[in-house]
Amino acid sequence: MQQREEKQLESALDSIIQRVNDLKTSIAAMIYKVENEYETLNWPTFLDNFALLSGHLTSLSKILSHDKCPVLRNLTVLPLMLSPERDEQLAQLTEHRVTTFAHDLVPDYLRTKLEPLAENKMMQLEHKAATVAYENAQKQVAAYQKVVTHIWDIVSKAREEWDVESSARGNAQQHSSVSDTHLLVTAVGMGKGLKPVPNANGQPGQPAGSMMVAPQGRPGSASGQGQIPPATQTMTMNKAPSAIKTNIKSATQIHPYGR
Amino acid sequence: MHDGGKATRVIGIRSAEQVLTKNMTTPDSAKDSLTSALNSNIIPNREYLLQGSVVDQYVEVLLHRLRGLCDNVDDGAETFYDHEMCFSLCMNSSGNPLVFPLRVRRALDAQDAPYQLRYIGQQELGDKNRPTIVRSSIDVACSASIVEFLQELGCRLDFEYTARGYMFRKGRMKITVSKICKCGGGNKPGENIELISQSYLVELSVLAPSGYDAIAEDMRVFAEQLKPLVHLEKIDYKRL
Amino acid sequence: MGVTVLQQFPIVEQRTGPSTIELLTKRIVALGATQQGQFLVDCETYSSVPQLGAQKTVHVLHNSEQPATVFSILETGSKTIPLITDGLFDLLMMKMSNFYQSKKQTKVESKGPRFEIGDFSVKLGSVAVSQNFKGILVEVEYRPCIVPAMCWDLIREFLQGFLGSSVSSTPPPYLQNKMQEVYTPNDTIQQYLEHFTVYRKSHFKM
Repeated sequence: MQQREEKQLESALDSIIQRVNDLKTSIAAMIYKVENEYETLNWPTFLDNFALLSGHLTSLSKILSHDKCPVLRNLTVLPLMLSPERDEQLAQLTEHRVTTFAHDLVPDYLRTKLEPLAENKMMQLEHKAATVAYENAQKQVAAYQKVVTHIWDIVSKAREEWDVESSARGNAQQHSSVSDTHLLVTAVGMGKGLKPVPNANGQPGQPAGSMMVAPQGRPGSASGQGQIPPATQTMTMNKAPSAIKTNIKSATQIHPYGR
Repeated sequence: MHDGGKATRVIGIRSAEQVLTKNMTTPDSAKDSLTSALNSNIIPNREYLLQGSVVDQYVEVLLHRLRGLCDNVDDGAETFYDHEMCFSLCMNSSGNPLVFPLRVRRALDAQDAPYQLRYIGQQELGDKNRPTIVRSSIDVACSASIVEFLQELGCRLDFEYTARGYMFRKGRMKITVSKICKCGGGNKPGENIELISQSYLVELSVLAPSGYDAIAEDMRVFAEQLKPLVHLEKIDYKRL
Repeated sequence: MGVTVLQQFPIVEQRTGPSTIELLTKRIVALGATQQGQFLVDCETYSSVPQLGAQKTVHVLHNSEQPATVFSILETGSKTIPLITDGLFDLLMMKMSNFYQSKKQTKVESKGPRFEIGDFSVKLGSVAVSQNFKGILVEVEYRPCIVPAMCWDLIREFLQGFLGSSVSSTPPPYLQNKMQEVYTPNDTIQQYLEHFTVYRKSHFKM
């Protein structure tokens, strides 16, 4: 039984030490960066480092709150021997941060309470709070609340103004209209709004009016046939009457294919 | 979707060159060379398309931005003024209505330019991961007799309009910014025009052989650069 | 690009198509012509399906002389409308196969050697209707001129010079109405179509 608990404690300590070491190296890396690469360091990399630290902290606190982890609070560390002599083993363990295990250092390192200065300050404040008269305290709370509501008002007013401004700016940016887009796209795509108005018969009214315009040039003048010499012009004139005749015909022939 | 007559002319010339290379010693039948062109997948018969619009008062801002982004930096935007007629060949085949749409486009500002005949297939929107509409498209430069030819072929004129605006190029991409007008009944296109909207239609398109899907990604990136002036999107007009 | 006259050359009993071409080749080479590759003119005919109403016919022709161009001629019975397009029109016709179907057995082509001699170019074409040899069409183009009336006599003389008496002294019927007009490649195509139509009809007789 005892043995099992000891084993558990040991493995928990091992993993805690590992996490703490991870954390320590990341902090060291970050400090190194700040000190040596401050000229080239950009904000995103700095934030990445920060995220790494926060990740390590999270995993450390997870281990501490894990079921399997023994309650460390219930364990005591008892210094058996203090010595002003330099302790090489200790120095090595602590990367030469702590070289002696002596009276002046041990209370600080093994302390489990708040720092003495902070402890003093807390005590003073608690004492002060206990001595303040009830009415006085009420007054102070009211005054404080007044200040807070005032600031709240200022902030919300500023927010309102900012909202109005940004929505106004949004309107100004209305460079295109969805309904116009749809109108244009359906017009060129399906002829919506472009089709001739149906007349009484339900047939499309003479839709081809504009189409009947005699095409410029004569039909034979095609693409890629090279230059047509000036002599063409006389011929175009010759052809004009026949073009008109043809067009009248084709206008009447539209109907068979009307719906 | 609609090509400034000018823009499609470029395509027409390219396909002509492809056929030309097959000339001289053994005159293959044109059908054979077309089949081999089809098989080697060099005919640009797929259109990648994004559409949007910009309201009239901001069109200058958009044109300014396009001038900066596109290839025609030196000469500025090319203008076009086209008349498009949309025909369809319809019939009932054992109860199933068959419709074959054909469009004719001609440049009103360049009267001696060839007419443009165009077939546009069903548009495929694909899933969310596909950045653009894709549809099959066949562009053919043709003589002015095409209108009469189509009518006699049995085609019905569904609708017509004019598009006037600017065209930009960026690599293989084509950007048109155009004003769409209804053709006044019985008038020549260009007279009595009736604007149908207070916005310009903006289209970004590429004609490519099938399988060049990488271009769609380039288009998405380019469209991104025009925001928030224009939101170029794939729009399924059949569902609107 | 000049004026072109298309002339049928009769085949005498004891000769075959290839041997007639050989004979004509010898004659034209003897005149000093040099061969400049081969040529091909083909024609495919599409008819509207019955559901589209009165039958209409689209002839789609290609000429290796204008390799990037497709020539189409629509016949409705009352009207004939020529259309000139670039090469992708063939693709469009394929797409239209629900409405217009090609009659494979009537595919006509004329192909053979192409010669140049001075300002003339001469093509000796063997005509085949769906791979069956039908006859010989000789095409002569006088390149420096574009108005038929101004060069018909010259072309006639040249034609008679190496084809002999089979050449009539009046211009082909198609050109007779167009003697004063500017000649275009489409006119060549029209002449081919007229001859092809005749050959096709002979096909049905056999």
